[in-house]
Amino acid sequence: MRVFWTALAILIALLVQTALGRLLPMQARVFDPFLLVVVYCGLTGGETHAMLAGAAAGWVQDVHFGGRILGLSGLTKVLVGFAVGVGSTRFHLGEPAARLLVLMVATVADALLFGQLAQVFDVQAYSLSPLGLAARAAVNGAVGMVVFETVDRQIKRWAPRT
Amino acid sequence: MARVLETKRSRFLLGGLVLAHLVAISRQVDRGGGTSLLGQTVFAVLSPFQRVVGAGLGAMVATWSGYVDLRHVSRENQELRTRMATLEMELQRQQDRLREADRLREIADVKPTLPFETLLAQVIATDGVPWYRTVTLNRGKDDGVSLNSPVISTTGVVGRVMAVGPRAAKVQLLLDHESGLGVRIERSRITAVVSGQAGFADHVGNLLAMKFVPVLADVAVGDVVVTSGLDRMFPKGLMVGRVQSVKATGGLFKDILVAPSAHFERLEELMVVRAQPDDLVLTQEVRPPEPAGPGPRSTTKIGSPAAR
Repeated sequence: MRVFWTALAILIALLVQTALGRLLPMQARVFDPFLLVVVYCGLTGGETHAMLAGAAAGWVQDVHFGGRILGLSGLTKVLVGFAVGVGSTRFHLGEPAARLLVLMVATVADALLFGQLAQVFDVQAYSLSPLGLAARAAVNGAVGMVVFETVDRQIKRWAPRT
Repeated sequence: MARVLETKRSRFLLGGLVLAHLVAISRQVDRGGGTSLLGQTVFAVLSPFQRVVGAGLGAMVATWSGYVDLRHVSRENQELRTRMATLEMELQRQQDRLREADRLREIADVKPTLPFETLLAQVIATDGVPWYRTVTLNRGKDDGVSLNSPVISTTGVVGRVMAVGPRAAKVQLLLDHESGLGVRIERSRITAVVSGQAGFADHVGNLLAMKFVPVLADVAVGDVVVTSGLDRMFPKGLMVGRVQSVKATGGLFKDILVAPSAHFERLEELMVVRAQPDDLVLTQEVRPPEPAGPGPRSTTKIGSPAAR
């Protein structure tokens, strides 16, 4: 069941990114719905779940929006998923403020790791300026907090019936 | 105890996943890119969803923009409001059709003048990450699109196909930092390479960097830049853009920026060249005929305007 929901979340992330790219091309680059899926899996399902979700989400992102070399986002999101998963088992990250912080740190880590990996594999990918990175972290954090809260509420609402 | 086992298992999984990724990426680096079977499969399975979103969004946007201005009209005017909304939506739809017809007519004007077969394709998705500049088209292998096929618009070169599925294809735009296109300054016949500008993703604009032009080369602002055909991928003589700025850097090469002639900020209908790369090494440059007279629309076409 968990695999189904994760796959569905990744599919929704793909559709959201596609729709955003068509409607607001510039803003779409600031928001990363795939990262939200990975972070949520890390916060609620632990590192194993987050790593597998990260690999799947990263590859889907690479295949559809990536460049010449596929797998950079996959590897980045595996590492981010692992870090978030480990963090969630050691610290209490259920509060909205903690989640906001995790999302922002994960966004920055994702961008920096991607840039470093691109350099290692000699891929000429664009990077974000510090201001652009801050904006991406803020947007992912704000949207992620609302999305996580909504998903949690829905899960709580439906949990007793199942 | 269970936690220790779980930790060990997750460490093994992390090691396995990282190793698998490194192997997958290294294999692609060795091959110089291209699409893997896994990549092709994921692209083929999920691109239909993107097609649906792409098609649905057009209708949704038209409906939304037709209604959004009418939200605060009072209840007494309900009938008028409904009528107005209907008419406005109809008008908007007609205007959209008119614009689409204009764009298609422009393509239809250009297509017969090109000495190679092209395929009309629509953009269904644009780049969703800051790291690359790509778009996805609604045409794929089933329609005759192949890897590295040149993609052009009515005004200039757009990019090349970098991944292809059965019903969709991903195009690397000229604006991408990793792109590269063999070009020539039409006036002075100097050859060079253009690609996306270096810099932060949120700072670079829609300009191209022209590389490897010696400091003594004759290049001036406003010079027309066309494809050279030397990359054996794009036909010779296709319009790329105009030189926007030329700076001497103190090094061996000039620092040149080119304003592309393709409108990258509003890519909708594009043409995919269906010929094989070997067929595209033409002996003559691509020159659509001069329009008969001054028409109401722009006459900037895919072939370069000068030296006809």
